[in-house]
Amino acid sequence: MDDLTKEFIAESQEGLDRMERCLTELEARPDDDALVGEIFRAVHTIKGTTGFLGFDRLEKLAHAGEHLLGSLRDGRLTPTSELISGLLRLMDGLRAILTLIEETGSEGTRVGDEDSELIAELAALNGATPVSKVEAESVSLKKVGEDAASATAPAAASAASNGASEKTLRIDVDVLNRMMNLVGELVLTRNQMLQSGMEAANFPELARRLDSVTADLRETVMQARMQPMGNLFGKFPRMVRDLSRTCGREVRIEFSGQETGLDKSLLEAIKDPLTHAVRNAVDHGIEAPTDRVLAGKSAEGCVRLRAFHQSGSVVIEVTDDGAGISIERVLAKAVERNLVTAEQAAAMSEREALQLIFLPGFSTAAAVTTVSGRGVGMDVVRANVEKVGGSVEVESRMGLGTTLRMRVPLTLAIVPALVVRSGGQSFALPQSALVELVYVPRREAETAVERIGASELYRLRERLLPMVWLDKLLGLEGRGVKEVHGFYMVVMEAEGCRYGLVVDDLLAPEEIVVKPLSTALREIGLFSGATVLGNGTLALIMDVAATASRAGVKPVEETGEANAVEEKAQEADVPFLIFEDRARERTALPLGVVERIESVPVRKIEYAGGRPLLQYRGELLPLIDDGHVLSELEAGKPGEDVLATVLICSRAGAGGRDRADRTGIVVRKVLDVAAGAVLGKDEGVGEMELAIVKEKLTLVHRDFGAKAAAGWKEVA
Amino acid sequence: MKIVGRDETDEIQDESDAVSLCSLFAGSESFGIDTRKIREVLGKRELQRVPLAPAMIGGVVPYRGEVLTAVNFRVLLGMEEYAGVSCVLVLDDDEGGERFGLMVDEVGGVVTVSRRMLEANPSTLEARSKWLFDGAYKMQTGLMVQLDPQKLRPSRLMETGLFRPSTNGRDA
Repeated sequence: MDDLTKEFIAESQEGLDRMERCLTELEARPDDDALVGEIFRAVHTIKGTTGFLGFDRLEKLAHAGEHLLGSLRDGRLTPTSELISGLLRLMDGLRAILTLIEETGSEGTRVGDEDSELIAELAALNGATPVSKVEAESVSLKKVGEDAASATAPAAASAASNGASEKTLRIDVDVLNRMMNLVGELVLTRNQMLQSGMEAANFPELARRLDSVTADLRETVMQARMQPMGNLFGKFPRMVRDLSRTCGREVRIEFSGQETGLDKSLLEAIKDPLTHAVRNAVDHGIEAPTDRVLAGKSAEGCVRLRAFHQSGSVVIEVTDDGAGISIERVLAKAVERNLVTAEQAAAMSEREALQLIFLPGFSTAAAVTTVSGRGVGMDVVRANVEKVGGSVEVESRMGLGTTLRMRVPLTLAIVPALVVRSGGQSFALPQSALVELVYVPRREAETAVERIGASELYRLRERLLPMVWLDKLLGLEGRGVKEVHGFYMVVMEAEGCRYGLVVDDLLAPEEIVVKPLSTALREIGLFSGATVLGNGTLALIMDVAATASRAGVKPVEETGEANAVEEKAQEADVPFLIFEDRARERTALPLGVVERIESVPVRKIEYAGGRPLLQYRGELLPLIDDGHVLSELEAGKPGEDVLATVLICSRAGAGGRDRADRTGIVVRKVLDVAAGAVLGKDEGVGEMELAIVKEKLTLVHRDFGAKAAAGWKEVA
Repeated sequence: MKIVGRDETDEIQDESDAVSLCSLFAGSESFGIDTRKIREVLGKRELQRVPLAPAMIGGVVPYRGEVLTAVNFRVLLGMEEYAGVSCVLVLDDDEGGERFGLMVDEVGGVVTVSRRMLEANPSTLEARSKWLFDGAYKMQTGLMVQLDPQKLRPSRLMETGLFRPSTNGRDA
């Protein structure tokens, strides 16, 4: 296929995408002439260019469509629903031929019959016999020149959903220029570095410059890869329109945040999950119009797609104002499908019950329709989103609607990871799958590992966690240094599997650049890529889910008992932060009230009326210093910069975060975090309560304790 | 035309007949690869091993923003692993676009030979070597076996299955 044809296909696909958006909008705003004009131009451009390239079949169809659109533009026809359906079919027809050309290089002649039917339908819609073809063609030929020119004008970076355009990307020339500039800067910096050498006085400065140039360049390249979410949203109006017809619903779709950028590869990855979610919202979420009216809502339902950035990731929400998910039905279904037992179901909170819809084999669709209920459910959505390092959550309120929230990272090329060592080699574990780190000292190593048959388990907070020894799994036993210090266990979670990966050592967390491996190494199936570490050595990136399945870890859905037990434990035992303020006394605060632990230079602490105060993030924080730690510190080493440890506590407890209600507590030393039970008030200790934490008597600040307990109840 | 010594003119009569080969060594044998197929000679490099990889994969090596898979040539020949640090060459495959590394003991210099000096593989050669070798040049010092980088591609080697049995050879 020559370049001209390729370009033509990519352009036409874009034109059709625009046409699709406009058509669905036209239904909502039938009087908008600009929309009709836009659609007309798209079809006209295709028709004009095909004349050049000699695709007769395509030209004929486009011509028929153009004629109909002409009548629409001149106001001889009004955009009825049938007319729009006809135009959508025209669009599908054009698209089919384009795909055929892309695949085979020719438009095919044998299937020509199909078109004549469609052309006849379009003519019937027009309500008149088509104008003589020759005449129309001569007109169009004259226009071809200008249209071809307008078509090549740079459109906004856009990705059509088809092959040819998937591999190409439109980039803003400004972005490209900026990239080139930065590359130039990079070369200059390199030259200077080579000339001056490591010992030169300005070396640190050069290194800094290199750092900033790289950061800028990285950002710019990422920006170039970014595609607006709008490209993905564009196809939904049509889909929702078709769906709402088949399902007998009245649905309107609304967007916000179309301009939110997302890496092109990620955009492709979330296409299917998002389509599924929208389909679900229309089919299951929105009720039939009659039901809606009975419920006091407008007959027309609304599906809202929202995209926005939030702390380094992109959040995409699909919200419907439908019936919401019935918890009772979810639970009944889960019991019926043997996913949970009846007792477990009864003990579940609303939030937990909602998580059940992500289990494989779960569908609440009363009947299998063509649209949904075919067994491909939310579990696939979750798996797909998790595959790219994202997460999915669902919120639902009976009668008010459901929100499905997907969170995906901005890019896949650079990921935060933890570098570990095992068997004398470095490996990178993606942070997204990392739950926690456990260190097992040597003296506990023997007792910590429990066995059932050949499998080894670790009891982590009364839950058994399968242990996977990375060196054994990779056949690297005995290659590493003999461990003398015990071992580290990295608790990983992927695709519902949770396991402890045992490694020799933990190195630094790093932002790693993912490099693909050759096919020969991909076949091993355990590594998702490799990366060059800061010290110049290579590290393989582990595929967390594949590692789990290789080690035989099966997905455990921790919905039932485990959580229930944990919840009970929470009610009885509150986690405490244990510290020392008065000499030799252990004091504790419920962990929920402690916001931060800060190290503050003693000289920063000011006094007013004998009370110590600290200026902390623009507010004045009163400090509690029961143990007279401050005076001790000041007396200890005069003139030096002594650091005091201050716990920043919020008096409002775990529930609220009222700014004005913060207090600082000056402590000697922070000791531990542990769960404990409050014993009750003891007269001898005044404002305090006694608690048993880690089998030792501990004082608890009563003020905080009581409120925190209330807070906990709210949460539970 | 280049001015060359008399005895050399006898050997290489016209330019199209001449091939420049980069000589490499594994064990006591010497091999040659067309210099046009070699992208870079990285020299002695410690490679990062890949656990569970087939034995013929010596490891991975970073090269200009890519991570290349390196083939251990000694393993292909069924030899013991080299005791010292291997030399790594980067080979380019113009067809498949696959770039990969080749681990050999030493890299020698560039020699120019005439195509007419090439002898086909002897019929007695065992299957693996027959597949790997591309004939040999009769040099004054001995035979120099010509290698075809196309056939050394990791993915191609995996496909043939000829080298599969040696997978557990290394650790055994």
